[in-house]
Amino acid sequence: MREGKGPHLLLRLYRKTIVIIVLLVLWWILPQFIESMYFPPLGVILAEFRRNIENGELLINLYTSLRVSIIGLAVAEVLGISIGALIGWFKRVDRYLNALFQVMRCTSILALLPLFVLLFGAGELSKIIIIAWATIFPTMINTAQGVRNLEPVLVRSARSMGVRGVGLFLKIILPSASPYILAGFRLSASISLLVLVAAEMLGAAHGLGLMINDASRNFQVTRMYVGMLTIMILGVVLNAALVWLERRLTVWQERAVSA
Amino acid sequence: MPESKEFQENACRIKAEDVGLVYHSKHRKNDPNAGSFRALQHVNISVGAGEFLSLVGPSGCGKSTFLYILSGLQRLSEGTAWINGTPITGPALDRGIIMQAYALFPWRTVRKNVEFGLEVKRISKKDRRAIAEQFIELVGLSEFADRYPYELSGGMKQRIAIARALAYDPDVLLMDEPFAAVDEQTRGLLHEELLRIWEKTNKTIIFVTHSIDESIFLADRVAVMTPCPGKIKEILQIDLPRPRTPAIKSSSEFGAYRNRVWQLLQNEGERTEEVITLDGRKHLSTVPQEVSI
Ligand SMILES: Nc1ncnc2c1ncn2[C@@H]1O[C@H](COP(=O)(O)OP(=O)(O)OP(=O)(O)O)[C@@H](O)[C@H]1O
Ligand SMILES: [Mg+2]
Repeated sequence: MREGKGPHLLLRLYRKTIVIIVLLVLWWILPQFIESMYFPPLGVILAEFRRNIENGELLINLYTSLRVSIIGLAVAEVLGISIGALIGWFKRVDRYLNALFQVMRCTSILALLPLFVLLFGAGELSKIIIIAWATIFPTMINTAQGVRNLEPVLVRSARSMGVRGVGLFLKIILPSASPYILAGFRLSASISLLVLVAAEMLGAAHGLGLMINDASRNFQVTRMYVGMLTIMILGVVLNAALVWLERRLTVWQERAVSA
Repeated sequence: MPESKEFQENACRIKAEDVGLVYHSKHRKNDPNAGSFRALQHVNISVGAGEFLSLVGPSGCGKSTFLYILSGLQRLSEGTAWINGTPITGPALDRGIIMQAYALFPWRTVRKNVEFGLEVKRISKKDRRAIAEQFIELVGLSEFADRYPYELSGGMKQRIAIARALAYDPDVLLMDEPFAAVDEQTRGLLHEELLRIWEKTNKTIIFVTHSIDESIFLADRVAVMTPCPGKIKEILQIDLPRPRTPAIKSSSEFGAYRNRVWQLLQNEGERTEEVITLDGRKHLSTVPQEVSI
């Protein structure tokens, strides 16, 4: 239905991607004339990319990174949504915890990393915790905002039908705040990748961050680009998936501007 | 239905005995009304099973407040309110309230909205669907069952709100100015539809409105409320034949009832006045007055 209006699908696809395609082509061609070791042509990088897939290095790094960030993110979402809902619902909880959360939120995550490494070792646990720490805030703040914006008349209406407690949370508060929660989730997810890579650069057994850092230190420039490219693709795919999910789950919302 | 007018004690659905309510506003600086505000005092009424009662009165006289008390959403300060002989202590599925504002859940389709109370009642998925279907059809919106509320007009939303309240089969329907936001013509249609549904389902209905005509046209009895503090000034028996058609509004009996209600509202000193809004509708409104607490 939505496709009915506006330019043809192919034309829109063209508009969206043409600039990127041109840049990629330039990346393919230009380095062949410059011949700088810092800028290998895209073709060379893709060959290395393929080699890295075949020898399994890329997969183990990708797998490690994904696992760590997904676990950290999952922990953050569960805690963030619960605490956020409490903050949004109970003014008192907000009053007592607000300052603490502001302090926590404003402290650079990487500044805290050494402490986490001391406490939880240099392994995956400290990375999971640092990711949870970094990603909990967008979800928490958004959830709280969503709950605050809840229409009182909807709560009243549900209560008039005998809904209370957990039922009210699951049937009314959560769905009503879901657009906010999903927006927070998308933000949290992109932050999780960001923080993960940084944390892995500071030391890890496997992971994309480690791979990039290690390659760069050993002047394996092409391998370094492979790591970067992977993260780029990961970020784009993740974002697209989350945008899609958000759309799916919020079809009930009236949109001022059609997609 | 003249025989249904004599309500026996055991057929009494709703009863309010000396109901009073004081709102305690939180103290705010610069707010002269901060402190407590008496919204209702000595409200006495009993409503029979299957009766259609209208509650009419100017804005701010406590109509919504009274409905909230009956629904159990608002705890009363004085007196007792009863349903089927037991005191009302909280919300329950024996009463359905249709709010002044559209209160459909925007994240649920029409069908899912109507199923809401049935979910609370833990009715099986299959039965829920069948019952919802039936009530969506009753309000004539079958083709819209899979739409979301934002895709509906105001009148349609209120019809769905009615279907939702009817679906879980409460004894009493509490309606708070349900048709205030729809145009005159649609409102006429909705009136006839509501009366048809009422006759078919045999619910007890308490219908709150600003509109004198609406209150008389629909009801068996009209309770006239006056403000400051809110109380029921008089209850008028409406002996107009049923089924009622719009033509009845131009009859002399109807005119007499209209004048009577109007007088009751006027006698409140200078407190009420008729306000004619831009769209030509008449409303009652309280004139600004000294604060009396
Ligand atoms: N939560 C509240 N706290 C304090 N005062 C309130 C509250 N709700 C309502 N009131 C006051 O109680 C009085 C009655 O309000 P209510 O909403 O019952 O009026 P109403 O008759 O339904 O008016 P309307 O026709 O405009 O809907 C009003 O003066 C209002 O200011
Ligand atoms: Mg009201």
